[in-house]
Amino acid sequence: MKHKISRRRFVEGTSAGIVAAAALPAVEAQQKAPAAAAGVPAAPKTTIRITVNGIDHRVEVEDRWTLVELLRDHLELTGTKIGCDRGECGACTVLVDGTPLYSCSQLAIWMNGRSIQTVEGLAKNGKLDPLQEAFIEHDAPQCGYCTSGQLMIAKALLMKNAHPTRDEVRAAMTGNLCRCSNYNHYVEAVMAATGASPATGGGNAA
Amino acid sequence: MTPLKTVGHATHRIDALQRVTGKAKYTGDIHLPGMLYARVLRSPHPHARIRKIDVSKALALPGVKAILTNENCDVIWGSGDQINQRRLFNNPVRFAGDPVAAVAAANRHIAEDALHLIDVEYEVLPFLMDLEEALKPGAIEIHPGGNLSPNNQRQRQPQIYRRGNVAEGLKAADRVFEDNYATVHHNNAQLELRVAVAEWSGDKLTVHASTQGIANCRTDLARDLKIPAENVRVICEYMGGGFGNKNQNQDFDLMAAVLSKQAGAPVKLEFTRKEDFVAVHGRWSSRQSYKVGVKNDGTLTAIQLTALTGAGAYRKSSCDLAGTEIYQVPNLETSVSPVYTNTAVAANYRAPAYPQGVFGIESLMDDVAYALKMDPVEFRLKNMTRKFRDQTPYTSCGLEDCIRKGAEAFGWKQRWNPNPGSAPGPVKRGVGMAMGMFGSGLGRSSAVVRLDGQGQYHLHVGVTDVGTAAKTTMGLIAAEELGVPLEKVNVVWGDTDTCPYSVGESGSRTTVQTGMAVIEAVRDLKKQIAEKGAPKGNEVLTAMATTNPAQLQGQSRNSFAAHFAEVEVNVETGHVIVTRFVSAHDSGRVVNPLTAQSQVQGGSIQGIGMALHEELRYDKRSGLPLNAGYYGARIMTHLDAPPVQVVWVETDEPYGPFGAKTLGEPTIIPTVAAVANAIHNAIGRRVKSLPITRDKILEALA
Repeated sequence: MKHKISRRRFVEGTSAGIVAAAALPAVEAQQKAPAAAAGVPAAPKTTIRITVNGIDHRVEVEDRWTLVELLRDHLELTGTKIGCDRGECGACTVLVDGTPLYSCSQLAIWMNGRSIQTVEGLAKNGKLDPLQEAFIEHDAPQCGYCTSGQLMIAKALLMKNAHPTRDEVRAAMTGNLCRCSNYNHYVEAVMAATGASPATGGGNAA
Repeated sequence: MTPLKTVGHATHRIDALQRVTGKAKYTGDIHLPGMLYARVLRSPHPHARIRKIDVSKALALPGVKAILTNENCDVIWGSGDQINQRRLFNNPVRFAGDPVAAVAAANRHIAEDALHLIDVEYEVLPFLMDLEEALKPGAIEIHPGGNLSPNNQRQRQPQIYRRGNVAEGLKAADRVFEDNYATVHHNNAQLELRVAVAEWSGDKLTVHASTQGIANCRTDLARDLKIPAENVRVICEYMGGGFGNKNQNQDFDLMAAVLSKQAGAPVKLEFTRKEDFVAVHGRWSSRQSYKVGVKNDGTLTAIQLTALTGAGAYRKSSCDLAGTEIYQVPNLETSVSPVYTNTAVAANYRAPAYPQGVFGIESLMDDVAYALKMDPVEFRLKNMTRKFRDQTPYTSCGLEDCIRKGAEAFGWKQRWNPNPGSAPGPVKRGVGMAMGMFGSGLGRSSAVVRLDGQGQYHLHVGVTDVGTAAKTTMGLIAAEELGVPLEKVNVVWGDTDTCPYSVGESGSRTTVQTGMAVIEAVRDLKKQIAEKGAPKGNEVLTAMATTNPAQLQGQSRNSFAAHFAEVEVNVETGHVIVTRFVSAHDSGRVVNPLTAQSQVQGGSIQGIGMALHEELRYDKRSGLPLNAGYYGARIMTHLDAPPVQVVWVETDEPYGPFGAKTLGEPTIIPTVAAVANAIHNAIGRRVKSLPITRDKILEALA
């Protein structure tokens, strides 16, 4: 299908006035995209400060970039996946100042001054997050493509509610689709990470 | 069944750590230096002739490196297949979403902008949306020769199977039941987008493909590009699902390869989610008409099926219907006609011909059971298949146990209401069941196993692991046969340069075919070790096996299943909740109960979505898709998914690796019918078209 309005046109004109914050000790992100190639028209750009998994970046972003595009294409954090790029599936879920958001539906320039946590930031000092341990033990990922998003939404839930019920887990995670439909194992894994006792009836009853 | 040391024990995936840390590299995560991005322009019309296509403005856009259209690209996709082949870019275009052009540019935004600069002048043609309309005399021809797609003999005739004499069988019946069922096109909808990264080095092509089978992808790419297979390397280390629609090579692989050649740079081609829904393929729709003859004691005398299936705008797969084979009946006739319409292409989706066919036959058989005042479970036990097509003995058959043990785990006797619809409302509870089976074929696959001087085993298998845990399964089988712990086996996968031929993760064949090759390679290695001693230092012992097992000497190997569903239907709103689900499966010995449980639960929950929600809908007047995307498709979510209890019926299967049979696809086969039958039991009315949405339930109750 032909797109009626490109993201570029949509974004054009909305970005003026975003001012780069003063530089703190920051990691300069390398410009990985070949956009700087000779003869390529310059898109409007803005310099932002963004903390990703505890590391400060000062990075010049094109105003049309989404957050997931910045993470994947320019910060080399490909653990966050794009499943739909239109806010439907949740594969790109990351935490923005602790709040779970679809990173495909956030512009990178909106992230100025914000702190992002991605799946790559879950393990601390080489030790897996209890959610990651439980996801392995309960075979939560099948194809694994939605897994990063499932982990991040579960992380957000447990930060707010350390002992959710199964129904609360389902409700919190329902914006994260899994076409392998391994929902039973995802819920069991999250419950196990909270220390809840396994469900009766084959480990997957309600 | 003798317990084994490694096989049969719940084992987490060998690549689970990569999957939960974001380290697993999927095709879309590949980034090559100087890589271009590609996007595809698609037809906005369901049927049109391209009069003129002008790419000059797009080519002039700085950053645009290559554009393919029908005028400069005559590559044929699926060129080895007489029925299914088509050009990458067609003129006329035959459905809304048919590719018109592909653009490679310096980045994805420029590629998207360039699509807007391509001027296409279309001559809009009349179009067909409906299967029956398409077969009427005088209907426009979507392909030369008419809209009835060829059968397996390449004749423009229905695909027919007969045994016995249906007319006689129907005559011999005490009662004849007739009914019609409709199923719809719905999408595989795997989370990973369709993406390929292609790179040429001289005349050598490397494609990072999101594929279910690297070996077949490689040979198909070579055939379609007319280059030797040894010049093509296909890599797929992690794969984000496919459910049948990433078999062989796909058009995105081919387009990326041709664009990369033309641009002289690596190219990443990604389809958008909308393209994934409308432009690739989903499960074929069907119109099924049955006649069933039955004696008053419930004995079947004949089954007749006449069906149309919706191929869409091009033929891509069998478009067949299965299901009648789960019944023992002396007289059977099935006639299936795949039909072209100007809609999205249909092809393989998890057990391609099965759940929609089983929905039809199992809905009707349920009605027969109630009409004869028989318990649906007893009716199935009386009439279930005992021999394949009433002739060929099974190598093993646990269908009866699936029904009995599944019914027991489900609590069928306590929950079944013999008077459908009689439960008090407004929320009515009902239960239903259905059975299914699937071939567990034999065929060629290879494996290489090496032992190095440090005592480490390396198993090379050409699997990609679409989510089935194939890498782990292969490792477990090797470890069992070697008599070593799984950790001693380093599994090498996903690269045609380092892995031998594997059949590909389609047809649920990897465990039984590649698994057998693993066993035979290990046996050879053990023989070598016995003869030469274990290797030391830099020495390596290598063994390779290619299985091509002889036919099963007059036997048929199949997997079996019975599913049981309980639903609550709100008769005021039409809302359905699946409250309880039991899936009983005979897949022989279960190699890895942990990941096998994921398969069964996942397949069953997918099937519930097919029963209740999923349909790619079209506006009949414009011929345009209406709901291409996850919101519109309404695939199952966390909140929709009931707990699925898995019951294993591990038959003693004499063939296959340690007696394992096929599993992945059977998991969705009986689900849809079980849910449909449960809804009937709850409300006392039969909804005969999928998906069973609220409006249909309310209409049935009106």
